[in-house]
Amino acid sequence: MRMLDVIYDANANLLRNKLRSFLTILAIFIGSFSIISTSAIQAGVNDFIDSQVDSYGGEGYLAVVSNDSFDALDGLQNGMGNNKTPIEYNPDKIQTGMSPLTNEQIEKIKKIDGIDGDSLAKEQTLDITYVTSEETDKKYLIAAEALPPGNVKVSLVTGKQLNLQADEYQILLEEKYVNALGYDNDNIIDKKVQLAVKDDYTHKIKTFAAKVVGVIAPSVVSMGYQYTNNKLADDIYQENIKYYPEDMKNKTYAVAVNYDYENYSADEIKDKLEEIGLSAMTVEDIIGTIKSFFDIILTVFRIFGYIALLAAAIGIINTLFMAVQERTREIGLDKALGMSSKRVFLSFSLEAIMLGFWGSVFGIILSVIIGNIANAVFHAPGGFLESFPTFHLVVYTMSDIISVTILIIIIAFLAGTLPARRAARKNPIDALRYE
Amino acid sequence: MSKTVLSTRGLRKTYGKRDSKFDALRGIAIDIHQGESVAIIGKSGSGKSTLMHLLALLDKPSRGEITLHNHPTANLKARQLNTIRNKEFGFVFQSFFMNSNDTVLNNVILPLKIAGVGYRERRRRAISALKTVGLDDKRNNKANDLSGGQKQRVCIARAIVNDPKIIFADEPTGNLDSATGEKIIDLLFRLNQEKGITLIIVTHDHELAAKCSRQINIKDGRIVADSANETLEAENDDKEEFKDNDMDDMLDHQHPTHHINVDEEEE
Repeated sequence: MRMLDVIYDANANLLRNKLRSFLTILAIFIGSFSIISTSAIQAGVNDFIDSQVDSYGGEGYLAVVSNDSFDALDGLQNGMGNNKTPIEYNPDKIQTGMSPLTNEQIEKIKKIDGIDGDSLAKEQTLDITYVTSEETDKKYLIAAEALPPGNVKVSLVTGKQLNLQADEYQILLEEKYVNALGYDNDNIIDKKVQLAVKDDYTHKIKTFAAKVVGVIAPSVVSMGYQYTNNKLADDIYQENIKYYPEDMKNKTYAVAVNYDYENYSADEIKDKLEEIGLSAMTVEDIIGTIKSFFDIILTVFRIFGYIALLAAAIGIINTLFMAVQERTREIGLDKALGMSSKRVFLSFSLEAIMLGFWGSVFGIILSVIIGNIANAVFHAPGGFLESFPTFHLVVYTMSDIISVTILIIIIAFLAGTLPARRAARKNPIDALRYE
Repeated sequence: MSKTVLSTRGLRKTYGKRDSKFDALRGIAIDIHQGESVAIIGKSGSGKSTLMHLLALLDKPSRGEITLHNHPTANLKARQLNTIRNKEFGFVFQSFFMNSNDTVLNNVILPLKIAGVGYRERRRRAISALKTVGLDDKRNNKANDLSGGQKQRVCIARAIVNDPKIIFADEPTGNLDSATGEKIIDLLFRLNQEKGITLIIVTHDHELAAKCSRQINIKDGRIVADSANETLEAENDDKEEFKDNDMDDMLDHQHPTHHINVDEEEE
C-alpha cells in the first residue's frame, strides 16, 4: 500500500465521524495554542532583552561592587521583616548602605585573568541640577551617567553614538527631553543643551553646554538614564565633589569593567572576583528580574498547556479505541485482502498523528493571528508598548513552531499506539465475524 | 487431470484448551484442482467455514498441512501470506463487507490499493472488473445505495479485480432472494468458465451446491462425502483418533509440520 494512500485514508477516516474528530482536535488545539503562545511570548521577551543587552554593549560588561554591600541588608531588614527586636549593632560588620571598594581591591580586579584592566571605570554618580536649552525657559530634572566602558552601543532613534574619547562635551538624550527642550528628532542633532551643576558646598551653578549627538530609543536597561561621554562625565563629577575632603573624593562604590567573554564565562570571572570579596553583575543579571517575572507567568501557562495536551492524548486514545471498535469488520476485511498488521498499525497511528497535526496547526495559526493582533494593539497609540517600538510581545520562530508541532505529533503518536496495536492484532476471521 | 492448486493433508483445527477444547476439524484431506468449482456443504457448526478459512490461509491449522501450487504454506511469513491472499485469492462474503459510505469504485479498488498499485492502473482495472459484473455505470454511486444483488456483484468485482486464481465465497447467496441469488451464481460460474478461476463455495444452499462440479460434505469436522473421490472416506478413519489424543501432549510443543504424516495416505 502506498504511503500517500495511507495518509489520505487516515484523513478520510477522521472525516467519517466529524464531530468526534473535531472535539478531539479541539482538545489538542487548546494545548497547542497555549504552548505555542507561551513560547512566542517567551521568545518575544527574550528577544527584547537580548536586543536591550546588545544595545547596551551587553556581553563583556560587568558591574563590580563590594560583597559587603550585598550583606548590608540588616539595616533594611531592621525596618521591614518580621523582627520582634531591633537588630543589634556589630562593629565588625557593615550593616547599612553601600560599602566602598578599597584601592587594593581595584588593583586586584585589574590583574584578574580575563579582565581588561584598562577598561576599568569607576562609577561616578553625576548630580545634575537641571537641564535646559536656548529654545525653552523651562528647566527639567535629568539623570545622566557616563556610558559604560567597552563596546557599548545605545539603540538610537536618530543621530550617532557617543565618541567617548572626544574632547568636547557630548550627550545622548531620550525623546521626551528632545521635545521638552523645544526640538524634535530631526533638528536636535548637534544642537547644544545646558546642564546646570551645583556643588554641594557653595551651591553655585556651573553650566556645561553639551552637544546632543543622538536620540535614545526607549529601553528598559537605561532605566531613564541619559548618557554622556567621558569628558562631560568627568568634569561634572569633579564639579560635584569639588569641596569634598580628599579621602571622600577617592571613594569608589562600584566599578565597571570589560571581560574577555569569548574565552571566559561570566561565572568564572564572578568566582575570581568573589575570592577578593567582590560581587559582579552582568547586564543579563541586572535585567534578569524582568525575565524571571515573565518566566514564572509563562511557566504556569506552559504547564496548563501540557495538562491540556495530556487530556487531549487521553481523548485521542478514546477516540481511536472507538474507531477500532467501529471498524472491526473493515480491519478484518483489509487483513483478509492482504493488508499487513504493520499497515493496520500504521493507518491508525497516522490517524492519531493527523489528529495531533491538525490540532497543533490550528492552534498555531490562531495563536499567530491573535499574537499579531496583540502586537499591533499594544503598539498602537495608547497601547502599553507604545513607547517600545522594538519590543514585540510575541515572536514566532520557525524552530518553536516546528518543535511544538513535532512534540504534539509525538504525543499523539504515542497515544495512538494503544488503539493501533489493538487494531493490528485483530484476527481477520474474528474481525469478520464480529457483529 | 488438471493441476492441483490447493491440497490439504490431516488438517485439524482445535479451538480452546483443556475442558473447553473443541475440535472444529478432525483430519481433512482434499485436493482441489485448477478450474474446479467446489461446494463445501454442511450444517452450521460442521466445520465448513473453518475449513474455508484454513484453505484461504486466513488461519493456521492446529495440525496438518496445506499446500498451494504444491508449496507447503506452514512456514510462510505473514508478509508472504498477505501477498498470496491479495494476489491469488478473491473473497466474497455473505454479508458483503463493503465500506458503505465509499463509492462503488473505491470498494472495488481496495485490494489493488492494498497491493500498492498506482492510481491510474488500479482505476482502470477496477472499472474493467465492474464491467465484468455489469455495474460499470454505478461506479460513482455510494455502495450503500445499491440493492443487495448489486452489492454482491460489487463484491465479486472486488474479488476478481486482482485476477485471482481462486475465489472463496462464503454463503454468497445467503443474504439474497432466490432470483437475485441465481444471477450471482451465474456470474460466479461464468467467471469459473471464462477465466478458469477456481471456485470454493461454502454454502448450505443445495441448488447452488448442485451447480458446482464437486461437492464436499462436512459433518463434525470430517468429510463425509466428496463427489470427486468417494473412497476418500477411508482417510477420515476414526482409528487415528486415539493416536492423536495420546500424542496431544507430546506434540504440543512441536511445530505442526512435524507430524503432518500422521494421517497421510499414498496417492
